[in-house]
Amino acid sequence: MSGATQNSEASVGNLARIESYQHLYVVIEHEEGVPVPVSLEMLGEARRLMDNFNVRYSSNEKVVAVVLGDNVRHLCQELIRFGADVVVYADNHSLKHYTNLLYTKIICQIAEDKNVARSISPNRSENYKKPRYMFFSADNTGRHLSSTVLAQLESGLASDINKLVISDLEIRHEHKTKGQPVKFEKTLEMYRPDFSGFLWTTILCLDNRNPAIAREYHPQSCSIIPGVFEPITKEDQRTGTIIDFEPQISGEDLRIKVLSRNIIKSTIDFESCKIIVSYGRGIRDSPEDNFKLIEQFAKALNAEIGISLPISKRPYQTKDQHLLSYMIPERVIGTSGRKVSPVVYIAIGISGAVQHLAGMKESGFVVVINPDSDAAFRDECDIFIKGRLEEVLPILTEQIKKHMLMIEKRA
Amino acid sequence: MPVRPLNVGVIVKLEPDFSEGNVSYNPDGTLNRAETKNILGPHSAAATLAAFYCKVKYDAKVAIGTMGPPIANQALRQAQLISNADELHLYSDRIFAGADTLATAEVLRLGVSRMNKGLGADIVISGHRASDGETGQTGPQTAWKLSYPFIGNVIDFHIDQEGRSIYAKRFISLYGFYDVIEEIQAPLPVFISADPSYKPSFNTISERLSVARNLNEARNKADNFEKYLQVYNSEGLGADPRYVGLPGSPTIVYKVEKIPKAKAKRRVEFVDGNDTVQLDMVAKKLLQLMTEAPIK
Repeated sequence: MSGATQNSEASVGNLARIESYQHLYVVIEHEEGVPVPVSLEMLGEARRLMDNFNVRYSSNEKVVAVVLGDNVRHLCQELIRFGADVVVYADNHSLKHYTNLLYTKIICQIAEDKNVARSISPNRSENYKKPRYMFFSADNTGRHLSSTVLAQLESGLASDINKLVISDLEIRHEHKTKGQPVKFEKTLEMYRPDFSGFLWTTILCLDNRNPAIAREYHPQSCSIIPGVFEPITKEDQRTGTIIDFEPQISGEDLRIKVLSRNIIKSTIDFESCKIIVSYGRGIRDSPEDNFKLIEQFAKALNAEIGISLPISKRPYQTKDQHLLSYMIPERVIGTSGRKVSPVVYIAIGISGAVQHLAGMKESGFVVVINPDSDAAFRDECDIFIKGRLEEVLPILTEQIKKHMLMIEKRA
Repeated sequence: MPVRPLNVGVIVKLEPDFSEGNVSYNPDGTLNRAETKNILGPHSAAATLAAFYCKVKYDAKVAIGTMGPPIANQALRQAQLISNADELHLYSDRIFAGADTLATAEVLRLGVSRMNKGLGADIVISGHRASDGETGQTGPQTAWKLSYPFIGNVIDFHIDQEGRSIYAKRFISLYGFYDVIEEIQAPLPVFISADPSYKPSFNTISERLSVARNLNEARNKADNFEKYLQVYNSEGLGADPRYVGLPGSPTIVYKVEKIPKAKAKRRVEFVDGNDTVQLDMVAKKLLQLMTEAPIK
C-alpha cells in the first residue's frame, strides 16, 4: 500500500482502501467491423455516468470497451473517440463470428484478468477481482451474452434498461440486510420499463450483507435497449489506452461451428418511404374490416404499414391470410422492432407505450388517431384526432384522394 | 446397431394470457393480474413444439419442467397436450419464491438433471423469453450452469443421432442494420431457445401418421396428466438454500413507479374526429408534407 501514496490517482480523496471492483466495462457489438449503433450509445451513457462518478467520489475509474473479433484493431481508436478510456480487444480468427460459448469465456477472461486491470490502472489494481459495472446491448446477441457472462461471474443482471443512475442508497431488506438499514455505496439503479410500457421497475444488484448468507455480487450489470441513449459527439482528439488481449482458447471452446451466415434485407422498406401508417390494438372491434380501412388509407398516402408490438403476437382469431401477413414481427415499430424516422408518422389505435415511442420519436410530423384523448401518445404528436378509426379513416381517405386528383389535374 | 435414444428436456413458464379478450388492463394501462387468466406462454409453447418435433422425428423421450407454485401444473398439462411428453416436472417450494433469473436458473439446472429418469437431457429447449418477465435470461443462464453450450433464436433444426450432433438455423435481428440467418453445428448435449417464429414441418407420410398417433396419445395422457407429474421441492432437488429464491438472487426490485410522461417536445393540436372541415385540414396538411419533402 505504501506505493499507493505516490500515485496521483490514489492520492486524490480518501482512497486508503483499494477496491476489488472497479471500472465500467462495456461489451461492444459490431457487424463486420462497424460498431452497431447501440454500442456507441452505451459508451455515451457510460461516459456521462463515469464522469459524474469520478467527480462525486474523487475517483479515477475508467470506461473500458471490450471488443472481440477477427481483425478489429482498427475499431479501437474509434471507440476511444466515442468515449472509451480503455479498449481491450481480442483479435483471433476463431472470433470472426459470434458464438455464445467462446465469446462468454473470453469476455469473462478479460473481466477477471489482473494484468488487464494493471494496465488500466497501474497503481490501484492489486485487489482487483471483477468490474464494478458492466453493460451489454439488449439485442439478440447481447441478451444471451450478458446472461451467460453473468452466470459465469455469478452476479446480477437486469435486462432492457432505459435509465441509469449511480447513487448511495440506504437499504432495508429481509434477506440482503436481515432487515437492518445498510448503506450501499455507488449503487447502479437500473430502470426497466415493463411490458405494458407504463410502469418503471428499478432493479438493484446488491451484495448480501446479511451474515447468514453473506456474498458479494459484482459486477452490477444490465442490458441496454438500443436507441434510448445518445452517443457523445465524436472527439477526434480523445486519447486512451489500447490493450491487446491474448485469449486462452481450448479445443472444447471451439465445438460450436458457424457453417454459414446469410444477411437478409427485409422486403419491408421503412427507410425510403415518406409516410408510415401504424396500427395497434385499437382495431380490436373488427380487426378484418378495420385493417381494410387502414390499408386503403395507407395506399392513398403511398405509405408503408407498421404495427405496435402487441399486434405481432396475433391477439385476434382470423383466417385472413392477408391481414396475418401484416401482423408479423418485421413490421413492429419500437424497441422490440424497427426504429423509423419518416417525414410523417401516423399512429392509429396505438396508446403510446414508451417502447413504441422510442421507435418513432424522430419522425418529422406525427398524427395520432385515437378515441381516448388521454392516451400517452397525446404528448408525442403534432395532431391528435380524437375519434374512432372506423369513422375517421373513411372520411380522411376520401379527402386525400379528392385533393390528390386535383393536384394531378393541375399538373 | 441401434442408436442411443434421444432425451429431450423443455423448460416452460405459466404466464398471463395476453391475447385479446383474455387480457385485462387497469385504467392506468398496467396489467390487471387478478382478472387475467394464466396459460402456457406462447414462447414456451414454441419450445414445446420443438420437443414434439423430436418426439415425432426421433422418437425422443420428452420431459417438461417448470418452476412455480402448484397452479403452474396447468402449464405442464398444456405442454403435454402439445408434445406428448413422458414426464412432467414441477419444481415448487416456498423458498423458491421471489427468485431472479440466476436463482431460477439454479433450480432449473437441478431440475434438468432429474429429467428422463435421472438421465438428464441431450437437448434442453426453452422459449425465447417470457411474456411477463421478458428478460430472456433464464434460458441461457440455465444452459451455462448446466455447462451446455447455448444456441439462441433457433428457427429450424435437425439431429444427427449417430453423430450425436445438432444442425440448427438461427435468426438474428440486428435492429436497424439487417437480419442474419446462421447455420450452426454443435455436438450434443446442447441447449437451444426456440425463436418465436419456430414451426416444425412434417413432410413424409410416416411422419404425418406419427403426428396423429402422438397427438392422440397426448390427449389421453393429458386427461390423466397427474399420473405423469413429479413434484420436487428444494430438498428433493438437493438445492442449496443459499443459491435459490431470494437469498440466491443478486438482484432485487427496489421500486416500481409509473413512468412519468416525457416533457412534450411537440405542440399538439386537437382535432375532433367528427368534424369533416377539420379533417379536411389534416388531409391537406398531409398532402403538403408529402409533396414538399424531398425523397430520402
